[in-house]
Amino acid sequence: MFMHGRILKPGPFPKGRTVRPVVWTMALRSTTALVGGYAAAAVLATLLARLLPIARVEATNWGMVLSFAIYAGIALWCFHEHRVLRVAALVWGIALVGGGLLWLLGVRP
Amino acid sequence: MAWIHGWLGLLAGWILFAMFLTGTASYFRPEITQWMQPEFRAKPVTSAHAAESAVAHMQRVGADDLQWYVYLPDARTAVTRVFEQRKPDPKAPRRRAPEIVLDPATGDVVRARETRGGEHFYRFHFQLQLPHPWGRWLAGLCAMFMLGAIVSGVITHKRIFADFFTLRWNKGQRSWLDAHNVSAVLALPYHAMITYTGLITLVAMYMPWPVTANYAKPADFAQAAFGTPTERAAQGTAKPLVAIGPLVADAERRFGAPVATLVVRNPNDAASRVTLYRHANASLNGRGPSVTYAGSDGRFLEGAGGVGPALATAGVMLGLHVAQFAGPALRWAYFVLGLTGAAMVGTGLLLWTAKRRKPGATPFFGLKLVERLNIGVIAGLPIGMAAYLLANRLIPAETANRADAEVATMFWTWGAVAVLQVLRPARRAWTEGFAIGAAAFAAIPVVDTLTTSRGLPGSILTGDTLFAAFDFAMLAIAAMLALGAWRSARSRPVAKIRKPQSETVHA
Repeated sequence: MFMHGRILKPGPFPKGRTVRPVVWTMALRSTTALVGGYAAAAVLATLLARLLPIARVEATNWGMVLSFAIYAGIALWCFHEHRVLRVAALVWGIALVGGGLLWLLGVRP
Repeated sequence: MAWIHGWLGLLAGWILFAMFLTGTASYFRPEITQWMQPEFRAKPVTSAHAAESAVAHMQRVGADDLQWYVYLPDARTAVTRVFEQRKPDPKAPRRRAPEIVLDPATGDVVRARETRGGEHFYRFHFQLQLPHPWGRWLAGLCAMFMLGAIVSGVITHKRIFADFFTLRWNKGQRSWLDAHNVSAVLALPYHAMITYTGLITLVAMYMPWPVTANYAKPADFAQAAFGTPTERAAQGTAKPLVAIGPLVADAERRFGAPVATLVVRNPNDAASRVTLYRHANASLNGRGPSVTYAGSDGRFLEGAGGVGPALATAGVMLGLHVAQFAGPALRWAYFVLGLTGAAMVGTGLLLWTAKRRKPGATPFFGLKLVERLNIGVIAGLPIGMAAYLLANRLIPAETANRADAEVATMFWTWGAVAVLQVLRPARRAWTEGFAIGAAAFAAIPVVDTLTTSRGLPGSILTGDTLFAAFDFAMLAIAAMLALGAWRSARSRPVAKIRKPQSETVHA
């Protein structure tokens, strides 16, 4: 995992930097997993609920029942993938694009 | 994944341990409540009779309420509990009316010591004694950490089958790893189920977004999903409520199972409604069907409950979590599995310190902090729970606000133990903490015998199985804690594993 390998080997730090870069990447990674992961999972579960072509109440429940599995999967993937920028881009991207899509779709008629 | 498994477990571990322990106690919520009101002896009555007596009482004290919410007694619950929702008074501040506890046989208010009973453990399990809604959010966050820890823990285990059969005693860190693996792997289906279904119990709060995307009004979802009867305003013309007994009998005939809950909306109004819910012990699905009658003439209005696969899935998840369907044997199995959950979290927390302790080296601050928090929670919480039960017997029955005093006793005791143990060397603190816990639990049957007429010898002789089983359970818990004290006193610091082995040592 990313614990082993290049991140743990401190490179030459720019002068005047007091916080190690690994702290920033870890903060970004954790925030993305916890908050971004929730947002992305909520958006995916809600898209599922909104778009499944079955009865409204059933679709709503499938979205709710599956949401935590989606969240757990996304959040753990955030710690599995080495490249933190890829993690942030994908997770926040899903949240924003999916959220925009839901906004365009509106409440199920 | 091993790394994230360790951090997820560490950050949420203490709260998860408390949630597991109080949640495990909550499988016996009605029994704990009965034990904590020893003055009141259950006289079994039919649910129709209990409904009649409760409605008769409410007609005396709250005939013009907005709603009565009546929880009927059953084989495990001795009393009828009523929540009344009064008409909103624009002058008075909005306050929830206190719960009314009734004798099902007579409909009179139960004369017994005031207590929160098993309800306290149940509420703490998901509200953590924090103001609403923060306790529920924190519990949900910890449950999510637990889910992440379970999934990453499984990924970590390449030897999951071998771990079933591996427990090496007295090998320091290796033993804690084995104990953690055994408690986690043996009961893995339970841990995964209870964590996921726990999140589902509050899904409407944690993940309401699918509802907002599909319904302009969330109440419409509740109506479609849970059969909440259609909202109907009072007409304002008085019309007395019909006899409730025949409605209960009719509903039980339709369900083929007992009625558990009864909701009367706008009683004594021409538009009054009576909704009856099936008992949760009738099915794996925790959300049983309901039927609604017109309160003015007893006409059948609507039935809800024929649900599709998604709703059935959600209902069964809820049912699996709260385990109301479980009979005595399965309930005890749930209880033991809940304890393995607490053991899994506890051994995981101990493993974190065991892995980082270096023989001869001064422990760093984080290690000391985690170790002290471990002692404060793992050894301290059982002492607090025992103090809650002891306070129930030792605070005089007539004291004002004694229910709050019982709860306060639990937290002050737990807090005092957690603070004072810092004065002792860590290894002694473990032993002494477990020993105090063992003594406190062993004291419960003794104090019960001294202060009530339903103590252990008497309860066995009179066939009072609930009280006898409760006191024996306390002795069993005392024995387990005594074993913990004995083992922690015997254990010597063992040198760390000498040879690095191929298997993953996580945390």
